Amino acid sequence: MIYLDNAATSWPKPECVYEAVNRAMREWGGNPGRSGHKMSLAAGKVLEETRLLLARLFNADNPERIIFTLNATEAINLGLKGILQPGDHLVTGSMEHNSVSRPVEALKEMGITVTKVKTSPLTGINPVDVENAIQENTRMVVLNHASNVTGTLNPIAEIGDICRRHGVVFLVDAAQTAGIVPIDVQKMNISLLAFPGHKGLFGPQGVGGLYIAEDLCLNPLKQGGTGSESKSLLQPLFSPDRYESGTPNMPGIAGLGAGVRFILEQGIDRIRHKEHLLMTKLLSGLHNISRIIVFGPDTPEKRAAVVSIQIKGMDSLEAAMILDQAFEIAVRAGLHCAPDAHRTLGTLENGTIRISLSYYNSEEEIDILLQAVAAIAGQS
Amino acid sequence: MRPLDRYSRQTIFQEIGEEGQLKLLQSKVAVIGMGALGTVIANNLCRAGVGYLRLVDRDYVELSNLQRQTLYNEQDAADQMPKAVAAVKHLEKINSEIQIEAVLKDVNSGNVESILDGMDLVVDGTDNLETRLLINDACLKNNIPWVHGAALAGSGLTMNIIPGQTPCLRCLHPELPAPGSHPTCSTAGVLGMITGIIGCLESTEAIKILIGSPRINRKLCVVNIWYNQFTYLDIEQNPRCLACVEHKFEYLNSVKGSYTVSLCGRDSIQVIPAKAGDIDFQTMAEKLKNLGTVKYNPFTLNFSASNSNLEITLFQDGRAIIKNVKDDQTAKSAYAEYIGL
Repeated sequence: MIYLDNAATSWPKPECVYEAVNRAMREWGGNPGRSGHKMSLAAGKVLEETRLLLARLFNADNPERIIFTLNATEAINLGLKGILQPGDHLVTGSMEHNSVSRPVEALKEMGITVTKVKTSPLTGINPVDVENAIQENTRMVVLNHASNVTGTLNPIAEIGDICRRHGVVFLVDAAQTAGIVPIDVQKMNISLLAFPGHKGLFGPQGVGGLYIAEDLCLNPLKQGGTGSESKSLLQPLFSPDRYESGTPNMPGIAGLGAGVRFILEQGIDRIRHKEHLLMTKLLSGLHNISRIIVFGPDTPEKRAAVVSIQIKGMDSLEAAMILDQAFEIAVRAGLHCAPDAHRTLGTLENGTIRISLSYYNSEEEIDILLQAVAAIAGQS
Repeated sequence: MRPLDRYSRQTIFQEIGEEGQLKLLQSKVAVIGMGALGTVIANNLCRAGVGYLRLVDRDYVELSNLQRQTLYNEQDAADQMPKAVAAVKHLEKINSEIQIEAVLKDVNSGNVESILDGMDLVVDGTDNLETRLLINDACLKNNIPWVHGAALAGSGLTMNIIPGQTPCLRCLHPELPAPGSHPTCSTAGVLGMITGIIGCLESTEAIKILIGSPRINRKLCVVNIWYNQFTYLDIEQNPRCLACVEHKFEYLNSVKGSYTVSLCGRDSIQVIPAKAGDIDFQTMAEKLKNLGTVKYNPFTLNFSASNSNLEITLFQDGRAIIKNVKDDQTAKSAYAEYIGL
């Protein structure tokens, strides 16, 4: 199988990730931060190491501002609902995933007003448009770092600067970029960074996280046991305990830690370079096949490792199934949980075929994919 | 009149007698599938005075059913009545002294045990092997005897499965055949006479099992009414049968069995058969050509039904995208009807 669905979840993982998950269950099997025995301490150490590694990757000063969640969706929900109050105004884009669009729609019901800024599939959101959308009561800007449909990168640093100048909280959905594109929460003025563990960071599914800037205190989504201030019936105020009630997903967090360590060892620039190489080959190959429509930017520099295509006159779901069953190639087709993005692209009806790469893909695999796409486009 | 007088022609028959009749009146039977076989079976068991009938089907009556599904009429088709409801309505007029329950459900691994709960016997009126193997698992696990029957074109077969006493259906079919490799009633047709005969054989065996007759059939009965054959074949228990020997109920526990996946956006559902096949599009196109429009290329076969807006895109490994369907069960039924499960 040639796996090109890394934007949904990355596969394979580095060997050290499998090992860490295994060891978390066999050796570090205690409940972290709860008991004083060696096994609990061992689990706690792995948990804090993972925080430290993530802080290093995103250049966050204080590892305790990295909190673990179920996935990026939960992190985005916490970011939005932990800050916004009725009467607040929110700015977002028109290329967002449902992990943003749906909670935003629910917030509207609670009296939060929303401006959706039209976003270009080719160049991302225009910072000037974002600045113009900011009003007196604007509390937050929420945007993806890269579209999960077209891979288009948003100018995060420029928008971060605008948010800083206007005193607006900036929440970034890094689902398609964490571990793939360099992120510096300080330089980019990101106040909240939501990330999945199982995509570019190479962890297992079921773990993600949120970076929370020092000056923010959010309302937690849930309350419960934290292993701290146990006499009190009130939820602790300090991070990470405020946001991490209940026993965490230790095997997931251990695997995530191993994934991040692998990225730091390899170097994110090297990872990005490899994916550029593959993306360049893929884009030029696709342009040479007739009847293929490629969505998003022409150059790899302007996108994450994601590209969406359509084969003219052909159902995207069918094309993806042919790739799967006749060519052993895994891609995703349909709407990719992002109806706003497809409305912007004009592909709401047929959806797109999405090809998403990873550090583990090879040039040979891209060649095989291109041949398969050409064969399908020639037949139908 | 004495209470049993309405069954006098049956009680005078010595093998049944009044004692047997009283047993029937106290019996509970589920008929799974209320098509050609199910209507014949339910009609027989209702008239014979089985005290409680549970009739299970979620389909609706259509005009093309009337050629063989003997309980229904043109009005039922015009009203698009659920089969189970129409059956209860007609049978209540035939015998008001028994209880008849309509269950509008497709049998699946999640609900089969609750559907069979409390039943003394199950009779097969289904149209696909996968559901039968599921019933086989559920009946073996819960120690309920069941009567298997099937019909296609001019032929049919039936056998009794009594847990602990006879071989089971999985002894005959250790594995499912490849998808699309066998004909269905939609693609090969079926005569109303053969479903009548098989349904009657099944209901006779049902009665024998319920009254504890020593005469129950322990063989596989195979009938072809067009080529004049009526055969009883010996069958042996598979000493390594996963179901009746090892009690590993793979269909009930969903390790086996086809499943569905909804596709992101639109009314499309992917059906993944239990076993991957290697479908020959030319043969399949031949089977389907009278039922709608068929086109194929090296990768896919596209079928549009002529009597509805249903569309099927079939892939060589047997997977299919069913379009214009709202739910998983409709998608699976369409697959069972046109491709075969």
